[in-house]
Amino acid sequence: MTAPIPVSAIPSSPGRASWRKEAAAVLVAFAVLALLPFVVTDSYSRHVLIMAFIYAVVASNWDLSLGYGGVFNFGHLALFGIGVYAYGLLTKFAGIDPWFAMALSGVIATIAAIVVTIPILRLKGIYIILVTFGFAQLVMQVILSQSDYTGGTQGMVRIQTLYIGEHNMIRDGKFAYFYIALAMLFLSTVFLRALVRSRIGAGIIALRDNEEYAVSRGVSIVRQRIVTLAASAFFTGVAGAFYAGYQRNASIDVFGMSLATIILSMVLLGGTSTIYGAILASFVLTIFAEAMADLGAWRPIITALLIIGVMLVYPTGLAGFIQSSWNGVFRRDNKVA
Amino acid sequence: MDATAQILFGGLFQGSLYAMMAVGLALIWTTIGVFNFTHGVMMMLGAYIAWTLSEIGLPFALVLPLVIVVMAAVGWALQASVVRPLIGRPNIVLVVVITTLAAASLIENATLEIWGPRSKQLPPLIAGNTTILGVGVSLHQIAIIVIAPVVLAALWFFLNRTRLGLALRAVAQNEDASLLVGLNVKALYGLAFAISAALAALAGIFMGGYRFMSPVMGADPLLKALIVVVFGGLSSVSGPIFAAYLIGFFEAICSYYFGLYWTPALLFAVLIVTLMIRPEGIFGSKSRGLA
Repeated sequence: MTAPIPVSAIPSSPGRASWRKEAAAVLVAFAVLALLPFVVTDSYSRHVLIMAFIYAVVASNWDLSLGYGGVFNFGHLALFGIGVYAYGLLTKFAGIDPWFAMALSGVIATIAAIVVTIPILRLKGIYIILVTFGFAQLVMQVILSQSDYTGGTQGMVRIQTLYIGEHNMIRDGKFAYFYIALAMLFLSTVFLRALVRSRIGAGIIALRDNEEYAVSRGVSIVRQRIVTLAASAFFTGVAGAFYAGYQRNASIDVFGMSLATIILSMVLLGGTSTIYGAILASFVLTIFAEAMADLGAWRPIITALLIIGVMLVYPTGLAGFIQSSWNGVFRRDNKVA
Repeated sequence: MDATAQILFGGLFQGSLYAMMAVGLALIWTTIGVFNFTHGVMMMLGAYIAWTLSEIGLPFALVLPLVIVVMAAVGWALQASVVRPLIGRPNIVLVVVITTLAAASLIENATLEIWGPRSKQLPPLIAGNTTILGVGVSLHQIAIIVIAPVVLAALWFFLNRTRLGLALRAVAQNEDASLLVGLNVKALYGLAFAISAALAALAGIFMGGYRFMSPVMGADPLLKALIVVVFGGLSSVSGPIFAAYLIGFFEAICSYYFGLYWTPALLFAVLIVTLMIRPEGIFGSKSRGLA
């Protein structure tokens, strides 16, 4: 048994903002976002922002397992898909209250993440990619084959929406949905940042950086991997449920390669192991994709070129780009490796 | 007798296609240590180029070698643009996954833009049908069953009996030492990609001869090739070949007895169980070598 270490005894790592500064910055950023619906009044632009928030939740949670944990979980989108279908099935066939179903979807995604962690405990690198990829396909096949409930390739339609009292969610220009999505992103971000800054987070990072040493110092690889995957799954599942309630339909497309590629590029474009980078990249890519909406087949082509370009020039992603230009402008020494 | 023959033909045919695809993936993994997600679109692109060449009236005997040369060049170019600049980075496996995924999306959408969405079909290698053991099969399928092992044997001969092939295996086994003895490692990386793309293109031509072509036709074979290499182990080229036929038969048996719908789910369940018991694959050894 180790006695809890007083906070003052933990050396502050150089280049890392104190939690007060960080909390203040997050609050300011979300306050600005919360004011957006008063500037952006048409429902289509609000829809784009809501989608950006959903993607930001999924991408930033993926950053926890991929960036911090170093676990190449390619089944992350399956967790999102599980959230989508769990919400749809729970509200439609079990008659569960939409809000409760949303929380339950997060729990179900978490359980699924724990199940998929078991086979990958002994695996490394590319094998983890393949098993988790296989897991995603397995989930998709099961959903496809149970077409009596899930609608198979047709998907589910007319899923119950979320509600707030008697408020009409559909005719308010997506005003209420905007705030629900923003609240979800806020909770998820606070949760993720608190986790990675905690001692558990330090253990996760230690395992990624030097597995043998971390294990020899008493970090349990089994427990830490399960914690990483499970923690990254909850809000991903909730985001899936929100997506289902918001779009009012569920389709098998959420398991497709194209969505996985887009979200993965958000994580990598933003720069891994930052959480904020993934969120920022989600905003940039979603809005960018909407701006090119009438380009047809050229849109994915340009997106792909952009991804390749950034990966070749800025291996640390947008976060690294911002860091280096910040240092360039303010002539700070780059102490942080 | 009918069922046995059907399973036998189905297994041999699917196994041949999977082997052609999986070997290319394994070749790149063993030599460079990265996973190439453009493998599926390479297959598709090969089929589309073959379609265009045969549309302008070239005889098929000329189309085949031409496509192989063109696709080898495409593979080389791909390697030079999205893989080679990243070599030496600490997170290369992950970054190459994303750059090859992006390149795959690029090629897929460019194909859609150039050739349009209408599905196309290639002429079969040999026209006509026949009946063997009471099962009707097309001569095209029989040709594939015969040609694939020949191609794979040629690849085995190349890797084991020629200087260039041995050099490729040397790079796979020890990159630094290969550099020290004067092998051009960069060129060998390009070669691995070129061979891999050519093999994929050949598989694409085979497939385009009996199924409609579309820009997404490579997605499913890529997935199957992934399963095959995991199943057979990533450490060799012969492992995936055996695994490909094994999975071909497994699929044929499953779809005969359990139906087509459950086959992929069963396949993935088998895959996950295999990895839990033997993470290095059933034919794999723990080291990363070739052949």
